[in-house]
Amino acid sequence: MSHDWPGPSPVTELRTEGLVHRYADGGVRALDGVDLHVAAGERVAIVGQNGSGKTTLVRHLNGLLRPTEGRVTVDGTDAAGLTIAQLASRVGLVFQDPDRQIFAGSVRSEVEFGPRNLGRAGAELRDAVSRALEATGLAGEEATNPYDLGQSRRKLLALASVLAMRTPVLVLDEPTTGQDARGLERVRTVIESAASEGRTVIAISHDMRFVAESFERVIVMRAGAIILDGSASHVFAADAWDALASTHLEPPLAAAIGQRLDLGSTPTDASLIRALGP
Amino acid sequence: MTAIAAVALGGLPGPIILVAAAVVLPAMAARVLGRLVRTALLLALPIAISAFLVNLFFFPGATQVLFRIGPIVATVEGFGFALEILIRILAISGAVTLFYLTTRPGDLTLDLERRGISPRVAFVTNASVQTVPALVERAGQITAAQRARGLDTEGNIWRRVRGIVPIVGPVILGSIAEVEERTMALEARGFTRPGRRTLLWTPADSVRQSIGRWLMLAALVALIVVRLTGVLG
Repeated sequence: MSHDWPGPSPVTELRTEGLVHRYADGGVRALDGVDLHVAAGERVAIVGQNGSGKTTLVRHLNGLLRPTEGRVTVDGTDAAGLTIAQLASRVGLVFQDPDRQIFAGSVRSEVEFGPRNLGRAGAELRDAVSRALEATGLAGEEATNPYDLGQSRRKLLALASVLAMRTPVLVLDEPTTGQDARGLERVRTVIESAASEGRTVIAISHDMRFVAESFERVIVMRAGAIILDGSASHVFAADAWDALASTHLEPPLAAAIGQRLDLGSTPTDASLIRALGP
Repeated sequence: MTAIAAVALGGLPGPIILVAAAVVLPAMAARVLGRLVRTALLLALPIAISAFLVNLFFFPGATQVLFRIGPIVATVEGFGFALEILIRILAISGAVTLFYLTTRPGDLTLDLERRGISPRVAFVTNASVQTVPALVERAGQITAAQRARGLDTEGNIWRRVRGIVPIVGPVILGSIAEVEERTMALEARGFTRPGRRTLLWTPADSVRQSIGRWLMLAALVALIVVRLTGVLG
């Protein structure tokens, strides 16, 4: 079975139309008619309380879940007609728990697994692996057994193993959970670097500061639907706080301080400092 | 007890009546008949089909031909014995499934402890009951993670066999790591402390239930005795 993408060279835009997902017949609608368009190169954060449908939504983007109703298109092609392996060549998904994917005896083999599945070999494979290890700070650990790495670095290894696939879209499920300060900085750098290469980055997170600092667009989900969608300034502005509170989210501290001081919407530390003036 | 009785009972009508009375009727009363049928068949079918075919075609000493497929002959005696085996397998899988579907693991653990079983044994029993669904869930998650990295688990047999390695590793390693963590978490909460312990609640156990259990046990013992002594031929 070919892993190649059918049709001409893609620009990778993602679209969901009336996406509904039920995990069981007659069960709760985990997704309740989601219409979403993500253009190539966007940095999008998806936030919402547990059970709001975030993970269910992103698992439709690479075919791990299939719609109960509605459809998903990747570069205009209906994902229903594509295998997960084909979609994996366009949409790389990093799972929340690294221990549910790591299996190889060395860091190098683990990172090679994805690109090999996509048919990469030789110099191309070596280059993809070394760049992914460099980006995640794991260069020099090629021969290390993944289980000798700490939790934070195992999480970075899971990220490296998907980065090496060089997919145009990178989806990260809770990339900052369990990360120490250094790991968090690595994740931020990886996102910036992927975005600067024109790759689309979508991340699920509960860390509002990270969301405001690293993403240009924030989507808020509640009960399987999108209730807010806009820039961090828009979503974390005071008039959106009631909607945020309805899904048990709080704006970043910088936004709260800015509002208290009547400085307008200041979702990031940098925007707050700017608003405070010299 | 149903499973043992199904094996102890001879012939075909006995086990069928037993399955109806001890598996189907209680499952209907507990409103789990649909799930029971699905799960019990899933559990039993691989072995039931192979046992049925082996007996149908290769029953030793059988003479009455039912039909032929090339050189292989299905016999009447084999068919009769295959049906007997089939109903017993269904009785065993049905009884086990009914137990799983109608017994909360927590209730089982507490009741075992209440009856003087050591907490360690009760915990191991509980953990075994919960292991299978936990492993299935873990394997599902791991398969999804590997497929997201382009692992193709569809297509030809060789591809599928190769696909097993990246799934089995994390399932086993993860389960071992989880056991270690769970053990430490239990120790940290005083699980290995000697002496008497109190129960959080006592599972409901009416006099009628108790009488029912004793009657079933007596019936089972009587059945085995009757079979062994050959009173019913």
